[in-house]
Amino acid sequence: MIVANDAPVLDVSDLCVEFDTHGGVVQAVRGVSFSVRPGKTLAIVGESGCGKSVSVQSIMGLTPMPPGRITRGAARLDGVDIVRQKIVNGEDVRGNRIGMIFQDPMSALNPTMRVGDQIAETLQVHRGMSKRDAFARAVEVLALVNIPDADARARQFPFAFSGGMLQRAMIAMAIACEPAVLIADEPTTALDVTIQAQLLELLEGLQRKNGMAIVLITHDLGVVARVADDVAVMYAGEIVESGTVDDVFYRAAHPYTLGLKAAMPSRETSKSVGLMPIEGAPPDLFRPPAGCGYAERCPHAMLVCGPHRPQRVEVDPGHHAMCWLHHEDAPRGTDAVYRGGRA
Amino acid sequence: MLTYTLKRILQGIVTVWFIATATFVAMHAVPGDPLANQRATNEQIQRNLEQRYGLDRPVSEQYVVFLGGILRGDFGISFTQENRRVNDIIRENFPVSATLGILAVAFAALGGILFGALTALFRDRLPDLVIMFLVILAISVPSFVVAAFSQLALVDINVYLGFSLLPVAGWGTLRHMIVPSMVLGLGTMAYLTRLMRSSMLEITSSDFIRTARAKGLPPARIFLKHQLRNAVLPVVTVLGPAIAAITTGGFVVELVFAIPGLGRYFVEAVQQLDYTVIMGTTVFYGAFLVSMVIVVDLLYGWIDPRVRVE
Ligand SMILES: Nc1ncnc2c1ncn2[C@@H]1O[C@H](COP(=O)(O)OP(=O)(O)O)[C@@H](O)[C@H]1O
Ligand code: SF4
Ligand SMILES: [Mg+2]
Repeated sequence: MIVANDAPVLDVSDLCVEFDTHGGVVQAVRGVSFSVRPGKTLAIVGESGCGKSVSVQSIMGLTPMPPGRITRGAARLDGVDIVRQKIVNGEDVRGNRIGMIFQDPMSALNPTMRVGDQIAETLQVHRGMSKRDAFARAVEVLALVNIPDADARARQFPFAFSGGMLQRAMIAMAIACEPAVLIADEPTTALDVTIQAQLLELLEGLQRKNGMAIVLITHDLGVVARVADDVAVMYAGEIVESGTVDDVFYRAAHPYTLGLKAAMPSRETSKSVGLMPIEGAPPDLFRPPAGCGYAERCPHAMLVCGPHRPQRVEVDPGHHAMCWLHHEDAPRGTDAVYRGGRA
Repeated sequence: MLTYTLKRILQGIVTVWFIATATFVAMHAVPGDPLANQRATNEQIQRNLEQRYGLDRPVSEQYVVFLGGILRGDFGISFTQENRRVNDIIRENFPVSATLGILAVAFAALGGILFGALTALFRDRLPDLVIMFLVILAISVPSFVVAAFSQLALVDINVYLGFSLLPVAGWGTLRHMIVPSMVLGLGTMAYLTRLMRSSMLEITSSDFIRTARAKGLPPARIFLKHQLRNAVLPVVTVLGPAIAAITTGGFVVELVFAIPGLGRYFVEAVQQLDYTVIMGTTVFYGAFLVSMVIVVDLLYGWIDPRVRVE
């Protein structure tokens, strides 16, 4: 069977996750949908605390439950839902069909196990390889992620590695079984800028070689502009805008995306104007707002925005935004017109 | 690893020398003449002993003689038991104490790791609550009380059964060793259980366990290969002090269960101010403890690669 190139390999729909806490129930993820195509990179971008990590970790079964709970939604990997059942055809899809790397490589590896063994382990478990063969393959994969002297390095423990090398080792671990999807949750946030560029390059190179899809989580629009094919902008547990990278950068349709872009350091701003951080704070997810989550901070907010949840509108083909401004009855005009509705 | 081992052994030797010196100083600080208050010391023995240990000579010289004896592995002759060499006392009785102590440490360590892991797995559920209640009990009740109660219980059980399930006191067979070593190890086991539990819980929510899950490893493998080895580290760290605690606790348990160990001799020697026996057994116990601590350190280095290079 030939799958059309546009068919998503991972398709997440209407995912809802909440946590029981002492203060009440936190609705961390409120109906998130996104999909990623083979060989493409989807960037999920948004402020810290907006639910990016929880979204992907709940799909991977990594959120602690309890207190966490997936109340709704599905994540189809090649058409099979993996939210409730990680074992597909007798095989755990994690580390196998879908790999994941994390923000802090320093703590993400087992300190008392040789790096090579930690990579070999996935091959033993998912490929049924012998310990020897798996270790030999682990050395090859370490070389593939540009670790010099991979043979010796594989025998070392994580403390002997630098942060950037550890993240490479993490990538090696995640791709050892040649997964269809790689989820990278802020993989470069804890590392310095030059290492960050090298790692992004490495990921792009690997993607070209083996055609895997990448879900890249970041709060850095610069990273998005560099590597993403598609972008999902997340705010207060929802995806408020999604589309191709050009859609989101050049035809941004949601006020929050515009705010993020204004806050983005660029060559010009860093010299003169300075950043324009979005004023205010995201809403309290203990009591999520009935209407638009951004209403409190939105310069375009209208009367309808507070009490009523905006619909997802397709502003261009494949380009969606969740904002009342795109409703057919919304006023068309300048910013001043929109603000007039606020009273 | 080799330099690390050598370094630890060298440190150990210095520690033993320190213990020997401290014991020597303490003995000479105690008021009284070691030979004056003895029951059956005649002139002949007194003079022989004074000559042998150089008690008529200056303290510095005595110190040199004492250290020289230790270097040759000779702790001298008992002051109270004529012609009984301290070395013989140690050789005859120490294996009993060591067996008791090692069984107790093994019981404490294995029990602590097992129950700690169990309580962490069943966190806040019935097994956890029951075990943690018993742990508090075991920590707060002193070992001589536990020893006495276990003896009483054993008597009742044997009477009820009509035959001797386990002996109430004495030494000789493995059956004799079970109850005393469990009594001796109980407090330490409770302490290690608590330590293991919190260490397990901390590791459960650590990043590398999350990584292991994201790799799709089976839960049993995550538990054995990733969680247990790392969770055991804090337990291994305190094994040294735990061995020391069990060694001193052994004196009491040996008395209660009438076990012919070295601890009893030590207590008697202190009561009778038998200087050579006190100094000999103290230095010997010290050396034993120091070597156990070194073994524990090497064990730690074997489990945790980060230690080996430092
Ligand atoms: N274990 C948890 N218990 C309670 N709340 C949690 C837990 N994990 C995450 N949350 C909440 O979920 C929200 C989203 O967190 P997260 O997905 O980590 O944000 P980010 O976008 O920075 O990755 C946060 O408000 C956080 O407080
Ligand atoms: S729905 Fe209203 S408040 Fe929300 S982003 Fe659009 S204009 Fe702003
Ligand atoms: Mg995050």
